[in-house]
Amino acid sequence: MRALFVAFAVLLSAACGPAPASIPAATPSASPSPAVVTDFQGRTVQLPRSVSRIVSIGASNTEFLFALGAGDRVVGVDDFSDEPPAALQKEKVGGVKVNLEKVTSLRPDLVVTIKFSDGTVERLAAGGAVVLVVDPQGLGDVARSATLIGQAVGADGKKLADDITKRLQAVRERSSAIAAKPRVFHEVDATDPAKPFTVGPGSFVHDLIELAGGVNVAARAGSPYPQLSAEELVRADPEVIVLADADYGVTPEQVASRPGWSGMAAVRSGRIHPISANLASRPGPRVGEAAEAYAKLLHPTVFR
Amino acid sequence: MRPAAALAGLGVALAGSALLGVLAGAVAVGPGDVVAALAGGADAPTTAIIRELRLPRVIAAALVGGALGVAGALLQGLLRNPLADPYVTGTSAGAALGSVASVAAGAPALVTPLAAFAGALASVAVIWRLARIGGRTTVLTVLLAGIVISSFAGAVVTLLIVASDRLALRLRAVLDILVGGVTSRSAAELAVAIAIVAGATVWALALARRLDAYAFGEETAATLGVDTDRTTASVLVVTALLTGAAVALSGLVSFVGLVIPHALRPVVGARHAVLVPACLLGGATALVLADLGARIALAPAELPVGVITGLVGAPFFLLVLARASRGVR
Repeated sequence: MRALFVAFAVLLSAACGPAPASIPAATPSASPSPAVVTDFQGRTVQLPRSVSRIVSIGASNTEFLFALGAGDRVVGVDDFSDEPPAALQKEKVGGVKVNLEKVTSLRPDLVVTIKFSDGTVERLAAGGAVVLVVDPQGLGDVARSATLIGQAVGADGKKLADDITKRLQAVRERSSAIAAKPRVFHEVDATDPAKPFTVGPGSFVHDLIELAGGVNVAARAGSPYPQLSAEELVRADPEVIVLADADYGVTPEQVASRPGWSGMAAVRSGRIHPISANLASRPGPRVGEAAEAYAKLLHPTVFR
Repeated sequence: MRPAAALAGLGVALAGSALLGVLAGAVAVGPGDVVAALAGGADAPTTAIIRELRLPRVIAAALVGGALGVAGALLQGLLRNPLADPYVTGTSAGAALGSVASVAAGAPALVTPLAAFAGALASVAVIWRLARIGGRTTVLTVLLAGIVISSFAGAVVTLLIVASDRLALRLRAVLDILVGGVTSRSAAELAVAIAIVAGATVWALALARRLDAYAFGEETAATLGVDTDRTTASVLVVTALLTGAAVALSGLVSFVGLVIPHALRPVVGARHAVLVPACLLGGATALVLADLGARIALAPAELPVGVITGLVGAPFFLLVLARASRGVR
């Protein structure tokens, strides 16, 4: 239930952000020979020779497809795909539950989808389309996602992957020169402020925090989206609080007024910053941009 | 046991369990530091942990348990039914519906207890009307009506969740209401709950003598000079106030209202003047301990306290049901 909810929260947060600029699209290359690849679920997938109708499930997958210049071949997206704005014009195939009839009616020759635990992937595959599971979680998965999707749609995913990696590397180099690494609490959801959801090892935001020169207060958590008790949080005493739930109306003033939170260093010094949920919730082609935004919050004098 | 001694014992039990509740938590704090924090002499983080997070949670648990215990005693007395309690009769479900609706409408946090009260009052009134059909209350009627009301409230809650965008963004809050959990509340929320529970308990004590007369049926009570219509209406309002306050604080916590009066009646007797304060103290103790169990059973993860009360309460309910079915009251 909890895991399901986190998936929900993450998907919801992915669905509700404003729309920052995206990375320029890579030029599609000439159609390569058909290939056999292994996807994120360990399935062996025989890629189609040419792809003209794509259904994308997962906000990050949609962003990759558009960044690879395959946006005009996308015929359907899930409800959480809100970026780039052109994705909003596409047919919708459902959200938490994928509408299989709708997918079939769009006659896709390729379905790129995140993982599902309810048999959705298997049912999609049974429908006849080639199904490629791409489900990036950590920062390390982003380059592989770009490459794999590029391969599937006949675009230069390697170049996109290299661009992203370079951009991340640039942030890493500048931040690693900074000795003082602030303790960071990244808030995913604090509907119950006594038990807020945050990010732990295995999530790409955790990787982003470290890359941007911060220390995640939930670094020892056992799951990618753990719940932290407010008691532990008070003891951890974060110096920066980043609100990925600001789009739901959570404000720094509200955070400061929560029972027990007023003593935290971040609250006393006023270092509570909203971040676009749309940017900080999906490991897509804009992670370089997300890393830069995060670094600005953690080290405002170094990253301007 | 003499009532005074029993009440004193329950008071000691509550104090002891509250102490345990403040001592145990997600972060280890030594007993000396806990005392220092309560006295205001500890470092800032420890003081915040104890005074702003743990103590309010223990107080919230005590309020919820006490309110449900008293509400259960009143419902069992009014309906002359050993199986009545706010959860089983659907009163809590009505209150939860009120809470969810107020969250859905974006009402300020302090309106939630009022909405919960309204929902509880509506459901408990329906139960009471049903229970009076044919002039006698049967165990079965009350239970069936409770199931129906709970299902109906559940359906409306689901409808609200699906239909309301605003609510969808507050999924966790709704989940907390449905699953039953105590959390650290702000001083303002606690103050409202304390006022409601204290006022309702005093009112319940004022009704105690008249409610005692219900033991032999409403007609008998009437012949004993009790204004049954007014008394019944008052008891329903008090029950709804208590249930509403409890649900607004912690969502649906099952079976406390059933178990506590049952467990205490053999000890303190059936007189409401003693049973009501006993259930207040006993219910508070039980839920403080249940919440403590919820916090440490799967630490560092926390169980919703409703899981604990359900695990303990459901078998107890079946036991009472079996005895009631055999005609043993």
